[in-house]
Amino acid sequence: MSEDQELSAALKTRATYHQAPPALRESLRAAVQASGPASHPTAAAPRTARRPAAWNPMQWWSAGAAFAFGLILAIGVVLGLGSAGWLPANGSSGQSIADQAVAGHVRSLMASHLADVASTDQHTVKPWFNGKLDFSPPVTDLASEGYPLTGGRLDYLDRRPVAALVYRRHAHPINLFVWPQAGGDETVTSRSEQGYHVLQWRHAGMRFVAVSDVNAEELAAFADLIKQHDS
Amino acid sequence: MAAAAVNGMSQPEMAMLPDTKVRFERVALPHLDAAYNLARWLTRNDEDAADVVQDAYLRALRYFDSFRGDDAGSARVWLLAIVRNTCFSWMEKNRRPEMVALEEESLGQDDGAGPRLYEVDTRHDEPESRLLAAADAAMLDRAIESLPPVFREVIVMRELEDLSYKEISGVTGVALGTVMSRLSRGRQLLRQALSQLDRAA
Repeated sequence: MSEDQELSAALKTRATYHQAPPALRESLRAAVQASGPASHPTAAAPRTARRPAAWNPMQWWSAGAAFAFGLILAIGVVLGLGSAGWLPANGSSGQSIADQAVAGHVRSLMASHLADVASTDQHTVKPWFNGKLDFSPPVTDLASEGYPLTGGRLDYLDRRPVAALVYRRHAHPINLFVWPQAGGDETVTSRSEQGYHVLQWRHAGMRFVAVSDVNAEELAAFADLIKQHDS
Repeated sequence: MAAAAVNGMSQPEMAMLPDTKVRFERVALPHLDAAYNLARWLTRNDEDAADVVQDAYLRALRYFDSFRGDDAGSARVWLLAIVRNTCFSWMEKNRRPEMVALEEESLGQDDGAGPRLYEVDTRHDEPESRLLAAADAAMLDRAIESLPPVFREVIVMRELEDLSYKEISGVTGVALGTVMSRLSRGRQLLRQALSQLDRAA
């Protein structure tokens, strides 16, 4: 590899790709809808301080609350990256969890090895893990919500065997990796790796990592559903 | 309506039909990650990046009628150009000492003559591979952030966003040859920064 290629590879795989915070997407939608004649806010408060003069206060405040929420969320995401979630929990100096999860996702598609147990029945998939793992992953079919379960398999992440549950959103497979991890609950954090979206969170002593090429909103909705059913 | 005058809206915008907004969302929202990533790297903080992106998108909506592209690639270039210009206006307004040198002309050309503001250290006292292998995400990020904006933007668009030279030229409005020379200079500066960070570590 040439020096430039080496540098390129290092940047592509390890430098931070700043994904737009989901709340920014929402506040943008609101701002777009609020612009123009359809809905002028009448009771808009003036914006204060550091906004450059060219900015348009009326349009801005129409999305004010969502936007403030967006900032909080954006900061949260960044702080979240620093916490254990994105780093290998077992202290390995190798790839991040997100990298490993994306690699697992891509491998499962390349080798046509998406599922060891191909079934849309959660009562078939869940018992299949018995005896193969030292924990029992939560398995929920979300077909009625548009994310049908299609199977499960074993995978290896963070230096341990993990459950990989395979869901589908339209034509896009979603890999959901699950394994036990000590620590309190963590909210969902998101990241993009090589064109895939990666979401991860911790709930009830389990680490969840979802990887897919579906758009960010649909993957976030998927994560919400899993969390709801897991509660 | 008085609010329209306050908002400084143009006539075309006043006449904007709801389906224009729907079409705009369909064309522009898929590139939100690309827009935010570029803005975040240029402004170097989350809050300003979100502000700039939102401002840029509303500008893009205003000029949406002038967008003539018909594929995702041209939409991305068109949108990133607006984001990029909004970022540079923002940097002009929020000028900090280290941001003064926005143009590479002030950084000295590669003509080998005279002192330069950003001197490239060509004394590689260690192999490139070792240096890169030792560079973790935080180090790479810091090195990118240390680049002057005109180099930072081409590195981000080429390496993180995978844009072609031609697309980068479309976004920045500079000639293809200039894109290539900025990229090459940007990589040199990046190596130098990495090597400095490595020595400091």
